[in-house]
Amino acid sequence: MTAGLILLAGGAAAGLFGSLLGLGGGLLIVPLLTLGFGVPLREAVAVSLVSVIVTSSAGAGVYLRRHVANLRLGMVLELFTAAGALAGGLIAFLLEERVLAGLFAVLLTWVAVSMARQGAVSAGEPVIVAPGPATDDEAPAAPDAGDPIATGVDVPASAAVEPVPVPDAADLATHLYGPGYRVRRMRFGMAASVGAGVVSALLGVGGGIVKVPVMHLAMGVPLKVATATSNMMIGVTATASAVIYLLRDEIDPYVAGPTALGVFAGASLGSRIASRVDVRVLRWLFVAVMAYTAFEMARRALGL
Amino acid sequence: MPSAAAGSRDPGPAIETLVARLLVIGTWVAVVLVLAGVLGMVLSGVDPLDHGERPVFDPGRVPADLLALRPSGFLWAGLVTVLLLPIGRVVVSGIGFLVARDRRLALVSLAVLVVVGVSIAAAIGLEG
Repeated sequence: MTAGLILLAGGAAAGLFGSLLGLGGGLLIVPLLTLGFGVPLREAVAVSLVSVIVTSSAGAGVYLRRHVANLRLGMVLELFTAAGALAGGLIAFLLEERVLAGLFAVLLTWVAVSMARQGAVSAGEPVIVAPGPATDDEAPAAPDAGDPIATGVDVPASAAVEPVPVPDAADLATHLYGPGYRVRRMRFGMAASVGAGVVSALLGVGGGIVKVPVMHLAMGVPLKVATATSNMMIGVTATASAVIYLLRDEIDPYVAGPTALGVFAGASLGSRIASRVDVRVLRWLFVAVMAYTAFEMARRALGL
Repeated sequence: MPSAAAGSRDPGPAIETLVARLLVIGTWVAVVLVLAGVLGMVLSGVDPLDHGERPVFDPGRVPADLLALRPSGFLWAGLVTVLLLPIGRVVVSGIGFLVARDRRLALVSLAVLVVVGVSIAAAIGLEG
């Protein structure tokens, strides 16, 4: 049973550090399970999807209660992320695990490079943002507006409080406005959401790395709202593909249970202590870990 | 406009509060069920990485496994609750939008459910 406790601890570590760094746990669970425990990649992706749904539901509950997430926008975009996830979930069974490992290596490399650039990044360049669950007594685990360490994007905090007249146009984008902003480039957002869904289903991640920059930078949604809305969307997105994994017997409850529980506990703890932790050293440690993990995934992809 | 009911209050916050309640309560139910399953694994000495034949998901067996206090029953119940939560959120939101006469968002909710339904159908089809 030691393995179960190690899975629990590993999941907790993935959830904790993912939450502290605004990465979400999914990015770390798949390498942990495949490289650390020898779980087949497709099964690891399935377990990761379950774990991100748990943290998404917990976080979304808090965000919605605080009315931070844009429910309408999220529901429209998740129609497209779910469609992408459906496609991705089906594609995942057509691809060899080596191909999936290669794709994961690319994703990890991109994240590692983005994190390494965060210190010098300028406004307008998106960096990973995929929140863990928010807690009642803490600010959302998602990076706040204007927090360049967490987001790499400088956003005026006042942006979310300026009043905006209620639009009277009947088009979809104006239907989805929020306090202080109007949604623009809806078609681009829909297309990008399909891509986010495919990535989520193939690699077992929440897809916030795509959705948040798209919503914030391209669609004009304040960063805080974008991260909260993305978090909310993860649940449906991941469920659309997780049911495929479940019904194709790719979810092992004995692996998924401890891992998801650990991720939930770790992410909850991370969201409570995030404001008291200096993530700069942690970030560089993670750049190294992700670079190494990307290398190992690439080796697996190449059969070396 | 967010609601077709011109001049009426925006129903969004009320729907969000209702959905939030569902998600928070549902998450804790799922976590407690999974925790019970993990404790059961510990007590019965199940090794998650070396436990022989993997339990296959069979919805019909879950109630019996729960009554028999089998860890797999609690784990499946918890994991299925996890997967049902986002679907429940869409259902509740859709009903809320329908009551608020926001037909567009109600239709969007329905479309999301259709996509999830297609996923289930596709998985069953592939399995068959």
